[in-house]
Amino acid sequence: MPFISKIERQTDYNLFDSSIPIVIDNGASYFRIGWAGETEPRVVFRNIVQRPRLKATGETVTIVGDHDPALLKYFDCTRSGPRSAFDSNVVYQFEIMEYILDFAFDRLGATGSKIDHPILITECVCNPVQSRSKMGELLFQTYGVPSIAFGVDAAFSYKYNQQRGVCDKDGLAMCPGFNTTHVIPFVDGEPIYKGSCRSNIGGFHVTDYLKQLLSLKYPYHMARFTWEKVEDLKMEHCYIAPDYLSEAQLFQQGAKEAEEKTRMWQLPWVPPPTEEPPSEEEIARKAAIREKQGQRLREMAEAKRSSKINELENELHGLEFLLNQLAHVQESNVPSFLAETGYVSRQEIESARSKVVQSLRKAKGESKSDQAEIEKADSATNEKYSLINIPDDMLTADQLVEKRKQLSIKSMSEGRQRLKQKRYEEGLERERKQQLEEEKRLENPELYLEQLRSRYKDLSEKIDQRKRLKTNGGSTNGNGLAGSVGRGERLNAAQRERMRLLTTAAFDRGKGEDTFGAKDEDWQLYKLMSKDNDDDDEEPDEDNTELARISSRLQLLDPTFVPKVETGSSQPAEAPRTRPLTKEDFQIVFGVERFRCPEILFSPNWIGVDQVGLDEMAGVSMRRLSCKDEKLEERLTNSILVTGGSSLFPGIIERLEAGIRMIRPCGSPIKIVRALDPVMDAWRGASAYASAPGFHTQTFTRMDYDVNGEDWLRSYQLKYSL
Amino acid sequence: MNFGSIDGKKMEAEIMEAELVLPNYLSFKRIQMYDKYPKGQSRGRHWKHLKQIIQAENYQNYPPDEPNYVNIESPPSMRPCKRICDITGYEAPYYDPKTNLRYANTDVFKMIRSLPNEHVQRYLAMRNAAIVLK
Repeated sequence: MPFISKIERQTDYNLFDSSIPIVIDNGASYFRIGWAGETEPRVVFRNIVQRPRLKATGETVTIVGDHDPALLKYFDCTRSGPRSAFDSNVVYQFEIMEYILDFAFDRLGATGSKIDHPILITECVCNPVQSRSKMGELLFQTYGVPSIAFGVDAAFSYKYNQQRGVCDKDGLAMCPGFNTTHVIPFVDGEPIYKGSCRSNIGGFHVTDYLKQLLSLKYPYHMARFTWEKVEDLKMEHCYIAPDYLSEAQLFQQGAKEAEEKTRMWQLPWVPPPTEEPPSEEEIARKAAIREKQGQRLREMAEAKRSSKINELENELHGLEFLLNQLAHVQESNVPSFLAETGYVSRQEIESARSKVVQSLRKAKGESKSDQAEIEKADSATNEKYSLINIPDDMLTADQLVEKRKQLSIKSMSEGRQRLKQKRYEEGLERERKQQLEEEKRLENPELYLEQLRSRYKDLSEKIDQRKRLKTNGGSTNGNGLAGSVGRGERLNAAQRERMRLLTTAAFDRGKGEDTFGAKDEDWQLYKLMSKDNDDDDEEPDEDNTELARISSRLQLLDPTFVPKVETGSSQPAEAPRTRPLTKEDFQIVFGVERFRCPEILFSPNWIGVDQVGLDEMAGVSMRRLSCKDEKLEERLTNSILVTGGSSLFPGIIERLEAGIRMIRPCGSPIKIVRALDPVMDAWRGASAYASAPGFHTQTFTRMDYDVNGEDWLRSYQLKYSL
Repeated sequence: MNFGSIDGKKMEAEIMEAELVLPNYLSFKRIQMYDKYPKGQSRGRHWKHLKQIIQAENYQNYPPDEPNYVNIESPPSMRPCKRICDITGYEAPYYDPKTNLRYANTDVFKMIRSLPNEHVQRYLAMRNAAIVLK
């Protein structure tokens, strides 16, 4: 049941005679104002002020109370949150108080040059005189109020209920409010403040506790838990358990009752769009497109190849023609003839020709068999490397250069030859192995598969381990949650090991005898320390290829085998892929919180307030009263009225009764009732009080205040029974 | 520009209709807000916090049996404190010396050990037990 503001401007202000008092219940959470003698306040709003800037003009404006959040979009509220005039339950910021009173009188329809009505306004129990006098000054000076009376809200509520027979003239008023909780004993219909007590805990703390618990439980939805929302949740769902620990135990054991008591708040959630598998047509269409594209590419490649062949053939013809011509030219004329063509010698032309022939062959796709090449190479060796076997001193400078060139060419081609040979041998070896495996498989297929699988598992684990070590070695070193921040995070395991070695080496000096170097292994340390020992990539590479081989083999042989998806190395961008958010991720579950939060009224030390809880306060209050009259004490406990906004929690009466029974002698009568309307009764009581004929005897004017001074105001106290 | 002005008018109308903004001039006031707190003057802090108010009251000068704001305050509880798990709210027989959190069972313990320090401090702050650096 959320509180509802009432802020329509009243039109009948001028119909009220100036003798009719205005009644104000100035509560820390809600401000209520109305006319004496009426049963409902005219204007009710949250006792807060906001001073945002208008987005359009940048002007600072004042907004009092709660308003439609939709209208707040025109304001820049970033610099000012809602502010209250209260510190605990005492008014301390009178500038804010003035804004609130402005708004309240304005909405009550006030016109004229002053507020020409007596005012009854509520305050807390034993309000410090500074706050009281400031309030008086404000009302007298700024609003021109003729007279004022201050009263206590809980007392008015008690009196109101007493008049309706809910409670007796002797009794206790227990008032869990917004910032504080009071217990006030009443004797003969008058509150005895000497026996009252106050714990600094109230509905504000309950809401705040709930808000903090929820935002810690659901950090992702923190923005959802606005003050207003949590306040609503509190009003709607919180209750007070008859016995906290046994109720919590129900939840701990996951009992059925607990499940029934759990409430859930579903935040708006839109299921992510599901990807439908493409239809047959779609697949066919895509395949056709791909086919077409492939065809085009192939055609292009073909065209390119044929044009290249053409070109090469032309060149070949040209060269052959040149050679033919050269055959007819005399030896002495060769240089001049060649000068036009750009070639230097006949050999050069021939080598160019052979090159062209070769590339032509390649272009036409004729495989040049290794054998043929080797033979050719063999036959060509002699002329190609004609200078190699001739000693240096028999050669000219040019020939020496030539010889060096030939040497390097020869060694290169020999290297190539060797590599080819090696590859060939490796191929043979692999084939042999495969054959061996095949034989094994045929011999015992089950066992073979088993072995393959276990080997796959081993290898993949090994690789994973290595990867983990490389990325975050910290997960295993166990030195705690808080320690894993800072520099350590950024280094991989190997680097960190290196740092460790370096630091130990640096601080190792002077500790006993230095035996470093006595053993050969000691020197290994430097190898570990050196920066370039990080490259441990070779082995895992081997492992990776082996793993790939096994997995492909398994895929071939084992229909049930599913290769592990590689998340780390293959697509690092997609690596931290989270599971899709589900409906459950957007559910706020209230289980224990429902009764844990209001429980702080009974155990204030849970939020660090070292004071007695609500039930014990009754005992404290009676002790302070020290009436030594058992009959009176019995009368007091026989008429306990619970009022105030936080007394709306279901179960509070039963719980209070159990708690008070513990501190009272066995068999003493205990009767606890809730006020008719715990929220509104204070104002109604005040309204009834202000309409009584004797009310004017309880008010004071500005003159009284000026004559009698602060000391008099300090001891000012309303007489509640008129 | 044009759009802006339309928007401005619409906004004005909406705000005017709701009478959201407190008017600057109110006939029933003898001293208007802008006279009391003139614009552009830094006034500094012109109010006292509750603590300062209480200090200024000099309650020690009055008889102790006379009720005042300070002496009606409740005493600490005489009952043994119910210890509950900071996370779950269950009864908490254990206490983690490392984080100072109270916990109910091994599952919660595992959880609190994986909590970031900030959350631990926020849990502690709720019962006023957090480390406060001054």
